[in-house]
Amino acid sequence: MSTLIEVNQLSKSFGSKKALEDVSFTIESGTTTALVGPNGAGKTTLFSILCGYLRPDNGDVKILGQPLNHPSLFGKLTALPQDAMLDPRFSIQKQLCFYGVLQGFSKSDALKETSRVLELVGLSENHHSQINELSHGMRKRVCIAQALLGSPKIVLLDEATAGLDPLHAREIRSLISSLSDEISFILSSHDLAELERLCDRVLYLEQGKLTAHNRNAPSGSSKYITLQLHEQYKDALERLKQLSGVLYVTQSQNKEYIIEYQWEFEQFDIHLLKYCYKCNWQYHQLVNGHTLENQLFQKD
Amino acid sequence: MNIQRVWQLAQFELTRLFATKRGLLALSAFAMLWLMILRYPIGHAVPFLSSPEFSGIAQELAGNIGLKALVSWPEAELAIFWLIALYSFPVFALFVCSDQTVGDRQRGTLRFLSLRCTRDEILIGRFVGQFTIIFSLIALTALATLAVMAYRKPELLLSGIALATTLVLQLSVIVMPFIALMAVLNLICSSSRLSIVLAILLFTLGNALLSFFSYYLSVLDVLFYMFPGVQLLDVAPHSNVPLILWVFPAIQTVALLSAGVFIFRRRAL
Repeated sequence: MSTLIEVNQLSKSFGSKKALEDVSFTIESGTTTALVGPNGAGKTTLFSILCGYLRPDNGDVKILGQPLNHPSLFGKLTALPQDAMLDPRFSIQKQLCFYGVLQGFSKSDALKETSRVLELVGLSENHHSQINELSHGMRKRVCIAQALLGSPKIVLLDEATAGLDPLHAREIRSLISSLSDEISFILSSHDLAELERLCDRVLYLEQGKLTAHNRNAPSGSSKYITLQLHEQYKDALERLKQLSGVLYVTQSQNKEYIIEYQWEFEQFDIHLLKYCYKCNWQYHQLVNGHTLENQLFQKD
Repeated sequence: MNIQRVWQLAQFELTRLFATKRGLLALSAFAMLWLMILRYPIGHAVPFLSSPEFSGIAQELAGNIGLKALVSWPEAELAIFWLIALYSFPVFALFVCSDQTVGDRQRGTLRFLSLRCTRDEILIGRFVGQFTIIFSLIALTALATLAVMAYRKPELLLSGIALATTLVLQLSVIVMPFIALMAVLNLICSSSRLSIVLAILLFTLGNALLSFFSYYLSVLDVLFYMFPGVQLLDVAPHSNVPLILWVFPAIQTVALLSAGVFIFRRRAL
């Protein structure tokens, strides 16, 4: 694994408002990283700095060992910036082809590359359309297509699936998942379920400050399972506490329980499911560890 | 700076004029306007300048405003073309080149570009593209004027070609700082319309204020050299023009583009 992005003590203010404060993190190759946080937390500011759209006030950013905006990053770092749109005067094909040529492709290769990425996002019928003839979701997919031109190493997607219909959002998620072996994605989204499926690492920003969560890292001598039941069964919390191997149970929200169990207990999940069956409880979901939502927002 | 990327960006600018509906519409309007200019001001003035009974009056009138040499050109069409183009192309360039980066910046398209080329390349590429457009239009109008002249007096064609080439080159140099000025205004304004408004204010209010202050503080006179086209009145006679006045627009262009690069590198996209 090599370091793709190295950010040290990054700060950015807009007037008196601190958008980012002493943010430091590294991103290794082969990881899909989620950037999460409430509105106004500084996610888009961080994205904009990583893409070179904004200059930081302080701090140092190295991408693939190079400073921001270095020409060697052209084509290796690509992005879907929020609210950015192609020029409505030209066809999609013409513009993507032009971007390909700027990335160093010959005209014919750029044309092939354009067809490839448009097909990836399900827009192979829209080569000659202009951007303002397309729906919001299709426009977003075109912008995702431009980010996949060539062989990028890092792709930053700001709210990639926001505004897409469920079918195409699913296709984009599956596209990201299928490409994540070759490309390191950094995704910003408010859809925690989506990030949960795609990302192995979470960067949580709040009021410009960052906390990192490694989703697969084990903690201490115990393990966790999150159980979501179909209904709020009577005494479920107390009965779960009595299950063998269980160390501690908390109810994170209605019908949802976080169960801490002994590290050495083998096949605890099967043991738990059998217990649900015995108690006549119908379960909705069983998550190995914490849900991302609980990781980020559960205070105790 | 990668010259190949700069050229790609410039070439893409050309397609804005020659391969989009809006561009072709603007081109048709431009062609119609010049057709009228060729038909009426140029077409009507030439017989007047060339006729023996009026040429004396014309020479006297032109002499009073320092254009005597121009009136005596046998290629009279080109003389009129020079005077019209000298004042119209700079104004035309302000309008045509009013959206070099600002529209793309507002739309976010520059964000896609800036991940594939440097900001310097974008600024210079767009400038080269716009300059090439204006250059082609100057060349086309000169060619049309040459055709009108050759129709009247075919024996002037050879000397006319040499003169027209010179005029095209000189007009192109003159128009350069106007394009560069719009490139800079694009970086500080939020729309192309605002860039035009700011350019008009600069040439009117800015000029008036500077005249007022330089009346009291003559050292401020030097600031007039910041204005593109400051030398237009001096180069209008076309003969005995000091070389520095032809070079001056190029110096202004370099200064304006350097300011543009400085601003663009620091600007948020």
